[in-house]
Amino acid sequence: MILLQSPSRFLLQILQDRVLSGEKGMDIDCHTVEFDDVRYHIQFSMRNPKVMVLSVALPLPPPEAILYDGLPLGAIEAIKAAYGPVVQILDPPKDGFDLTMKMNLTKLPPDEEQRNAILTQIASIREVVLGAPLKLLLKHLASRTVAPNVDKLVALVHRPNESFFLAPQADKVTIMYPMRFQDSIDIVLATSFLQEFVEARRTAALYNVPSCMWSLAPPLELKGVSADALNANAGFVTFVVYPRHVEGKKLDRTVWNLLTFHAYVSYHVKCSEGFMHTRMRRRVESLIQALDRAKSDAEKLKKLVHGGSFKRLSLKNEGDSRF
Amino acid sequence: MDATARPAIVIDNGTGYSKLGFSGNSEPSFTLPTVVAANESFLDQTELLSSSNWIAQYNAGIMADLDFFIGDEALSRFRSSGLYTLRSPIRHGQVHDWDTMERFWQQCIFNYLRCNPEEHYFLLTDSPVSTPESRECTGEIMFETFNVPGLYISVQSVLSLSAGYAYLKSISDDDSDTTSDMTGVVVDIGDGAPQVVPVVNGYVIGSSIKSFPFSGSDVTQFVSQLLQERGELLPPEDSLDISRKVKEMYCYTCSDIVKEFKKHDKKPDKYIKHWTAVKPKTGVPYTIDIGYERFLGPEIFFNPEIYSADFSTPLPELIDNCVQSAPIDTRRALYKNIVLSGGSTMFKDFHKRLQNDIKKIVDERVAATNARHRVEVKPIEVNVVAHPIQSYAVWFGGSVAASNPEFFEFCHTKEEYEEHGASICRTSPVFKGMY
Repeated sequence: MILLQSPSRFLLQILQDRVLSGEKGMDIDCHTVEFDDVRYHIQFSMRNPKVMVLSVALPLPPPEAILYDGLPLGAIEAIKAAYGPVVQILDPPKDGFDLTMKMNLTKLPPDEEQRNAILTQIASIREVVLGAPLKLLLKHLASRTVAPNVDKLVALVHRPNESFFLAPQADKVTIMYPMRFQDSIDIVLATSFLQEFVEARRTAALYNVPSCMWSLAPPLELKGVSADALNANAGFVTFVVYPRHVEGKKLDRTVWNLLTFHAYVSYHVKCSEGFMHTRMRRRVESLIQALDRAKSDAEKLKKLVHGGSFKRLSLKNEGDSRF
Repeated sequence: MDATARPAIVIDNGTGYSKLGFSGNSEPSFTLPTVVAANESFLDQTELLSSSNWIAQYNAGIMADLDFFIGDEALSRFRSSGLYTLRSPIRHGQVHDWDTMERFWQQCIFNYLRCNPEEHYFLLTDSPVSTPESRECTGEIMFETFNVPGLYISVQSVLSLSAGYAYLKSISDDDSDTTSDMTGVVVDIGDGAPQVVPVVNGYVIGSSIKSFPFSGSDVTQFVSQLLQERGELLPPEDSLDISRKVKEMYCYTCSDIVKEFKKHDKKPDKYIKHWTAVKPKTGVPYTIDIGYERFLGPEIFFNPEIYSADFSTPLPELIDNCVQSAPIDTRRALYKNIVLSGGSTMFKDFHKRLQNDIKKIVDERVAATNARHRVEVKPIEVNVVAHPIQSYAVWFGGSVAASNPEFFEFCHTKEEYEEHGASICRTSPVFKGMY
């Protein structure tokens, strides 16, 4: 899996199971947490078998990003447009959550493919709600205009207490991420990953994608933003998105990828660590084999007589002697 | 929001299935088979350079370490494409392939649970017979690769016990003092390495652990054998899969084999079930009859000689031996609380049969003692506890334990790991909050 998926697997599983099991089933009351502090709470009770309630909590916004009524700009319109009559927003949202929706399972389209599409959309609620302002700006880009009443520099929340910045213009949108990591090893790996990422764009096959730059210092467009928002220990990544990248079907994918860019980098940093551990283990195995060959035969015989020893000579666990 | 304010992640890795989810929930978010299907064609880097198209292969080789699937997706990819090799990182309850296990956890955390491991405490489970080195390896992987803030590795048997108590407490109407003292025998029969583990006051008595060689997969194998011996037309590539489904749907435990045979012969239409399916290769539908297999399958736990000539101690006798090898002052408490856990204990009436058989053995012994010493020993109460969440009892116990506010204090933290190294993970203290 190279890219993080948009629909939440757990929500999709619950929704599909519920739709398939129809009249029978058990009560569900589950809390789930996703990366960047997005919490879901899904409830279903057999007393009301056609209704499911889903509550979503969003990450805490930093001071420079503005939320309207606790939700990003355009979120409510986006929900209505995406789900239609199936979903009804409950106001006020449940305690501790930013949004509560009631889903009416009888209003799902009867055709299986359309139904699965709507369920997948519901499971992608995070993309719809958090990505609403981004989608708005990018839609304007597709029509080569600038959205009215929008400042030169827009801050959108994507992680708790952190935001990324957009500078929308009529023919392109510049998106800047200050990259922050907590662990010192992560910072080093992320820096080299991002530098390679930028280098990879130079290969011939990728000339059509948004241009991408990485720098340690904040880019010029971010002049005037508070210093807190700009402390980034792994540099700044800048993407420039043109109208051809947000036409038609590409819009949703672009929104999701831009929204979860930090999570994507963090995921790949951890995968790289895992991969390096695999190679380290293989190297240790080969060195241990070399050591074993160097042991004299008398030592090997002694070892067999005494049985196993506590010192771990191999990374692979031999079975327990009890079996 | 701090990591202690978020629900902890509970992952129970078993030989057959892994259960993952968040603490505080009553059932796991995901139950998936513990298998990884990896694309191994790019493993040997030296072959790359000799090929002419080495740029394309090199580029593909860079991404190859991410080209793997886990769980049900792994099984379907393995069947549909020849490119993937299937690996099971856990055998007999213990991890034996750490690379594959690391990949498995990676996908669990990022693809299924979709959470950032740096923001949650983790509760992992471990078999009671695993080595301290394996716990060290687990700790190393969790702290180094995933940067978890805190980790607790608990023994599966203790969690099963606390799951039993938590469930009984939740359904009991009276507010009586149901203080559990975490003493009991846990009979854990999952997909691999079934074990009988005595636990006293939260601590496992290692020397009394007895293991039973036949698990859920053996029952499936036996059912498949019986069906084929009788001449039922099972397509060979699906036979294990179908037998497993038959076992889960139709098998039950009887109280006496001879009577059961007679019952089946007298009223065939009440007992014989039919299974209809479509042959995958030809698309032709077929039906098979399921008769004696329904009760003979689970019978291998009580009469192992019908399946294999190597082992002949029935499960009730094994449990009795286990309790008799435990310290004498704990035996009454152990008999009183025999807890079942694991998917293969879910057969109908399994607990009743087990209770009857153990009670028979215990009563015989008490009668012999009474006759020999001419005393009246107080009769020993045998109680086998069964509850509907047996198949994920370990996960449920973990969820209950991790939702306790004291849990975070008992975890090993990243700071401790960086200070002392992986050896801190060798033991995890059992804490009062689990009761």
